[in-house]
Amino acid sequence: MKLEMGKFVSQKALPRRTFLRGIGATIALPLLDAMVPAFAADRAPWTPRLGFVYVGNGIVHKTFKVTGTGKTFEFSPVLKPLAPLRDYLTVISGLDHAQANNLGDGTGDHPRSSAAWLTGVHAYDRTRPGVEVKLTTTADQLAADVLGVHTPVRSLELAVDTATQSACDSGDCFYVNTVSWRNETTPNLTENHPRVVFERLFGDGGTTAERAVRTQKTASILDSVYAEANRLAASVGHSDRSKLSEYLDSVREIEQRIGAAESEAHDDVHLPERPLGIPDSFDDYTKLMLDLQLLAYQTDTTRVFSMILAREVSNRPYPHIGVPDQHHAASHHRNDPGLIEKKTKIDAYHVSLLGYLAEKMRTTSDGGGSLLDQSLLVYGAGMGDGNLHQHTDLPCVLLGKLGGTVTAGQHLAYPSGTPMTNLLLTVLDKVGVKLPAIGDSTGRLSPDYLSAV
Amino acid sequence: MRRSVVGLLAAIPLALGTAWWLGFPHGGAATTRDLLGRYCTDCHNTTDFTAELVIEPRDLDKLASDPAHWEKVVRKLRTEEMPPDGPRPEHDQYQRAAAFLEQQLDAAAAAAPQPGDVPAFRRLTRTEYRNAIRDLLALDGLPAELDFELLLPADNAASGFDNIADLLFISPVVMERYIAAAQKISRLAVGDLRAPVMVNIHQLSEQLPQDERIDGLSFGTRGGLGIQTYLPLDAEYVVELETAAPVPEPHEIELSVDGARVASATVLTPERRPGMPRRSSEQVTFRAPLTAGPHLVGITFVERSEALDESVTRGRMRGRGTLPAIAMATLRGPYSPTGPGDTPSRSRIFTCQPSSAADEPACAQKILTTLAHRAYRRPPTDADVADLMPFYEMGRAEGNFDTGIQFALERLLVSPQFLYRVEREPTEPGAHPVSDLELASRLSFFLWSSIPDDELLAAAELGSLRKPDVLRAQVQRMLADSRSEAMVTNFAAQWLFLRDVAVKDPDIFLFPDHDPSLRAALERETELFVDSVFRSGSSVLDLLTAKHTFLNERLAKHYGIPHVQGSYFRRVELGPESHRAGLLGQGSILTVTSYAARTSPVLRGKYVLDNLLASPPPPPPPDVPSLATEDKADGAPLTLREAMTRHRADPVCAGCHAKMDPIGFALEHYDAVGRWRDDDGGLPIEPKSELADGRVIDGPEGVQAFLTSRPELFVSALTEKLMMYALGRNVQYYDAPAVRAVVHAAAERNYEFSAIVEGIVASVPFQMRAASATEENEQ
Repeated sequence: MKLEMGKFVSQKALPRRTFLRGIGATIALPLLDAMVPAFAADRAPWTPRLGFVYVGNGIVHKTFKVTGTGKTFEFSPVLKPLAPLRDYLTVISGLDHAQANNLGDGTGDHPRSSAAWLTGVHAYDRTRPGVEVKLTTTADQLAADVLGVHTPVRSLELAVDTATQSACDSGDCFYVNTVSWRNETTPNLTENHPRVVFERLFGDGGTTAERAVRTQKTASILDSVYAEANRLAASVGHSDRSKLSEYLDSVREIEQRIGAAESEAHDDVHLPERPLGIPDSFDDYTKLMLDLQLLAYQTDTTRVFSMILAREVSNRPYPHIGVPDQHHAASHHRNDPGLIEKKTKIDAYHVSLLGYLAEKMRTTSDGGGSLLDQSLLVYGAGMGDGNLHQHTDLPCVLLGKLGGTVTAGQHLAYPSGTPMTNLLLTVLDKVGVKLPAIGDSTGRLSPDYLSAV
Repeated sequence: MRRSVVGLLAAIPLALGTAWWLGFPHGGAATTRDLLGRYCTDCHNTTDFTAELVIEPRDLDKLASDPAHWEKVVRKLRTEEMPPDGPRPEHDQYQRAAAFLEQQLDAAAAAAPQPGDVPAFRRLTRTEYRNAIRDLLALDGLPAELDFELLLPADNAASGFDNIADLLFISPVVMERYIAAAQKISRLAVGDLRAPVMVNIHQLSEQLPQDERIDGLSFGTRGGLGIQTYLPLDAEYVVELETAAPVPEPHEIELSVDGARVASATVLTPERRPGMPRRSSEQVTFRAPLTAGPHLVGITFVERSEALDESVTRGRMRGRGTLPAIAMATLRGPYSPTGPGDTPSRSRIFTCQPSSAADEPACAQKILTTLAHRAYRRPPTDADVADLMPFYEMGRAEGNFDTGIQFALERLLVSPQFLYRVEREPTEPGAHPVSDLELASRLSFFLWSSIPDDELLAAAELGSLRKPDVLRAQVQRMLADSRSEAMVTNFAAQWLFLRDVAVKDPDIFLFPDHDPSLRAALERETELFVDSVFRSGSSVLDLLTAKHTFLNERLAKHYGIPHVQGSYFRRVELGPESHRAGLLGQGSILTVTSYAARTSPVLRGKYVLDNLLASPPPPPPPDVPSLATEDKADGAPLTLREAMTRHRADPVCAGCHAKMDPIGFALEHYDAVGRWRDDDGGLPIEPKSELADGRVIDGPEGVQAFLTSRPELFVSALTEKLMMYALGRNVQYYDAPAVRAVVHAAAERNYEFSAIVEGIVASVPFQMRAASATEENEQ
């Protein structure tokens, strides 16, 4: 059983609509039940999937926060688009990211926000002498250590922005370009081109025999360059080998993945046409990227993803929702009601994009329930009030039930000052990633209302 | 092999004479101490601790122990920024004190050179990789399927540049992309007969006008596109195109290759009969045998006379009136290949051809040794070639001799010695010159963003590269070579934010004609202009003041400059009424420093401070008070300038805005896309204002005068940026002596660009490497 790759290599350009129809009509869903590998005894009997979706430039608390707690909360203007998904929704308030504060480190609230989000670790200003790039493995990657072992792609890192050189409030722009770090010195680069994402998920074609030859050759190349790199390290005698370690680790990981992919079995899947370019409209483009992620889940190609819907300091205008203003400029609303309204529209729009993916997951069956029943999407940011650059009472929304381990449909208000990393620790715990701590966490969420029935 | 540090430093030309930095002989320790005590210590003492800075005049005796601190003081003195108010020293007092401190700091730095720290393994950037492939394999203008922007991920930019060494990461995803790229590139370069069909799609923007001839295609044609591509094999190729709309009248479309017509067809939408579906476009398909290698494939309309057309209205959307336009073209192939052809790439790779099967291994050995030599930027070892040969054998068994070379090349392109620039770490503590071969790579990646060529490698292998005259001759040769265009397209484009022009999206309702062809023209103008100054041997100050530029018709119309016709760029001498002298008169920079719908004096002022003076203002606090939006007492709305003046009344804002805003105001006659305007929506423009020190800046000429009044500040800024780019790391306080040495030497040569480049090449951080090992880094 192999993914039938030959069929999707498109030889003509198709508009996005065709591509979407392709997903709905021609995809023969894999029997995911049958595909769940024989899990070790301590693994959940369902297929857990996690997604982490980031939105930059903070929020406006008075238009973001829901009123009332528990199951009787009332929607806020920003979260309103999620009303149809109420049964799957958990709103969490009161979480902080203290490590995103400046801690004597000057400007750079934006980069520190995306750096701290899945780590709870402070990103020091690297432009100063003697300061090196250093963060830590992010929560999505900790999850992928377990959930990504059995899938062809370990995890997916998506974005819909292109990094510019001039838009970043410190010298360290790379901290805003990703929210996913493989280890403390290696960020995972995000991918923003639909075609590249598609080829990463499903390869770039060829017959089964051709692919087998290619895999064989790739394995030989990896062996050979691994030996060469080790020889090189010995010959130049460096104490600072962190860059070469990145190379060696990457080679080793791909080798392991090739081995795993060969042992993995799939039903035939009719994939949609390969997307060729970036659609002109931002709305179409973002939804296409979300569709690709849905496809990755459906085909069990990966179980973990992260995505940046709006990069920190993004100055994207949103004319299609009636906001021709630039996002970052609008986020510094200085309590101007007009700007607050615009920022609120932008925030609600991002939430509606999350709803778009969640709704599709809700209507996609997967084993005993829907994809959304088995998954959890964590949506939020490392910045709360975007006007003041504060990192308290962060926006945080969960969608999904994670195989029934999350009691959704409620608003959980935690005491101010609860580290966001406590939530991450709790979530990872539920998918079998047992860790003593993440960044500045002080323990699992307590009480764990998430699980309370 | 260790060379003396003293000998190396002697290579840095010591400038003497009446240059500006010696114009005020320093007054010695006593005078400097006196000045610091009088003007600085009122605030910068242990009690007030203003800006967390304590200036202790008595410490002048031991300033070498804290260069980071004293370099800050030097900078404030040189730029005469402090004290912010109250009595201030005279200009020459400032400069004398600064000169004294600099002399002390420079002497200390010379005694203990500090080249800084750059990772020993430094991955090639995407740009460097692309250029390395071009130079290694004679492979340029790759087909759309092999677009480097899709083959490899973008690099992280920090502090304005994407070649900062410690941010050049490799993760498993990146590694997968290198593996895939190596396969595709090696197949194309060798001409693999089993290469899969490529589908190269070219979509044309709706906003792109197709009413004129495309530069490079035949006269008498109109619209369409020219595709610079590299065909993998001698084979048949299919070109499919789709029009943007139905074509009610017949039009002729031609396919040309390298300027010669290959085929043509008439396109016409048939008359619609009842029951037939409405057609939204027309398709045309050409099929033609083409030879392998680089070609310019043109798909264009044959121009029809419009002499009889009464309509003179020219819309900017795609075509005039009812003229058809092409929406998309697809180049597919190869089909039925007949051979790998005779391509530049094959000539470069196949340095021998085996005459018999017995010859093959030796020939393969020769080819791979040559490739590895160039790719690894040093003579390859037996082990290097031994790494490649098994892949040759694997490929030879799979197919033929060429397949063997292709497999080995694929393996080579993933080698850490190709993907990384590797520098050996000194075994003893302290700073030591890098090896000749390492210096050759530093030079070629600095000047060409690519690998060294054979001549440079030979100089390094002979051990002569460090001779000052040889080094100088190499630098001059490399700057004269066309590959040094990277100084413009890679360095200057990042320094000046030119890469943002293409993604900048001015408000379509306010600026409806800001289409892709204008954006491209804006970017091209500045590239050509910077190139002309860099290559002319004239002062880099001409970047600020030169009275020439490069225009095509599209851009000249944008600027309102008459008598420029056609789509090609040509040098244009500017009259005083054009207001276009220097970089700050160019639409590229004026656009990237504007918001989508309006200009921003703050962004423009900040741009000048950041990029042209390397004196960035700190970012504003997040909770800045709002720009006043209330109206004036008489009910009239505040002008932007009035609102900003009120804003500056707030002392929190005043310090920085007093520096930025006057520069920005002086450029207000340029609108958000760089057109000259006499008023701002009916409100008057007031281009004249005063800096904190009382100097007046009035209009673009005023900004030029302000920037050129202290040429060393602009030249220092350019030097710092160029040094950051050359070294691949942020420039730190300990580099300040090197920057000063470069600027001093360049002053002796009228600040010509090549003098700055030579100065950087001769500097301690470029020439040397320090042992970075600390105990805790030990694994």
